[in-house]
Amino acid sequence: MVADKGKKSKVAERGEEQDSDHVDGELVLSIEKLQELQDELEKINEEASDKVLEVEQKYNEVRRPVYIRRNEIIQSIPDFWLTAFLSHPALSDLLTEEDQKIFKYLVSLDVEDCKDVKSGYSIVFNFSPNPYFEDTKLVKTYSFTEEGTTNITGTTIKWKEGMDIANGNGHEKKGSKRPLTEESFFSWFGETELKNFSDGVTDEVAEIIKEDLWPNPLKYFNNEADEEDFDGDEDDEEKGSEDDEDGDQDDEEEEDEDDS
Amino acid sequence: MVVDKGKKAKVAERGEEDSDHIDDELVLSIEKLQEIQDELERVNEEASDKVLEVEQKYNEIRRPIYGKRNEIIKSIPDFWLTAFLSHPALSNLLSEEDQNIFKYLESLEVEDFKDLKSGYSISFNFSPNPYFEDTSLKKTYSFFDEGTTNITSTTIRWKEGMNTANGVAYDKSGKKRPFPEESFFSWFGETQQKSISEGFSDEVAEIIKEDLWPNPLKYFNNEADEEDFDVDEDDEEGTDFEDEDDDQADEDEN
Repeated sequence: MVADKGKKSKVAERGEEQDSDHVDGELVLSIEKLQELQDELEKINEEASDKVLEVEQKYNEVRRPVYIRRNEIIQSIPDFWLTAFLSHPALSDLLTEEDQKIFKYLVSLDVEDCKDVKSGYSIVFNFSPNPYFEDTKLVKTYSFTEEGTTNITGTTIKWKEGMDIANGNGHEKKGSKRPLTEESFFSWFGETELKNFSDGVTDEVAEIIKEDLWPNPLKYFNNEADEEDFDGDEDDEEKGSEDDEDGDQDDEEEEDEDDS
Repeated sequence: MVVDKGKKAKVAERGEEDSDHIDDELVLSIEKLQEIQDELERVNEEASDKVLEVEQKYNEIRRPIYGKRNEIIKSIPDFWLTAFLSHPALSNLLSEEDQNIFKYLESLEVEDFKDLKSGYSISFNFSPNPYFEDTSLKKTYSFFDEGTTNITSTTIRWKEGMNTANGVAYDKSGKKRPFPEESFFSWFGETQQKSISEGFSDEVAEIIKEDLWPNPLKYFNNEADEEDFDVDEDDEEGTDFEDEDDDQADEDEN
């Protein structure tokens, strides 16, 4: 803010007419000083943001190899991601019956931030060869620009003949239109426009996967796995009723029941 | 997760026990997965601690600057009132009466607890005025580890007949004047903890802390643009009503 030299030169003069100029002059100075302080605060805030970003970048690097190890282990747990999805309160609603069948071919999920963290991230679904689409990798990528806008790109799924459930074609009723009462989860890959919510634009599914499921999918998987046989002693009270064949609440003898 | 020893002993046997063998491997995989999640949790906690350290450090750096800023603001009449009225959301919260009261507002202060994560307070400091006895109205938010938030606030000691926050005031002739508009000052009385599922949000507090407090000048300037003491920068806005002699030059207006 440039001070008006004409007004400033009147500061020295007193008297009624110039009093308002004098006051104006002081006000102008105060506002200028205030602006300088705000500029100083802004520099400090930028520095703080940079330092915080550095910490986040560093720990992202630390986490990467752990996620890779985790992925290896997950490969030996059948239907891990499908189970985790179905156990998640919000995500379970997104999978139709058909989607669940396709998810049987889901090998792994990967959420990866850009190296600088702030530029964006991508969510990758890796599939084994399957009867539904040609792709083995379905990716959705979010890029944040300096101006604050978000660019979204998503794999255009190469559906096999008659399998395009994302657009409402099902192989079951070839030749007759099947009304889409349920939207397929896979249509999410085609949604590259951000939805407008009152508190800003978001892709809720992406946020849930990235912020909630990805950090700890095991906690959701366990909620469902609790009810299945291969789970150990931990959840006896829940499975006691179905596994306690001889009624003695003792796990060890259960298998022997069949042998005799 | 404790592995069932009975099941483990059967691992060596094949045939009918195949399903046990598979179950067993699954159990092991899940255990390993749990260990990885535990490791990730440790890493995440460490990251959060480091981020908090950075924020605490910069908060300390900002404090003295806010102190200096406060001094300068005192020499700008009605600074906070103007900033409030220029803020798109906050301006709606001040009734006519509130604006009269804000004439006595000397300073606003937002202060985090030293460790940052435990909470913060917002203080409105007033000079002696005809409305209430207090010179400082403060609202404090305390965050607990379990996720709950405690809110405490000054109980305003209104002078006789001035209690606008409760909707009753008297005009000069002693008649009760109804207040159809809610007073901003009722915000101090809102100390109900919202449930955790709703998430904590006191929108007014958030706006003041996150938006107004960091840079009130940008809001103040929006309004000050239209006033005489603002100079050259906003000529295009000022010329309409200040250009008395029609020559588009500021200098000769007086």
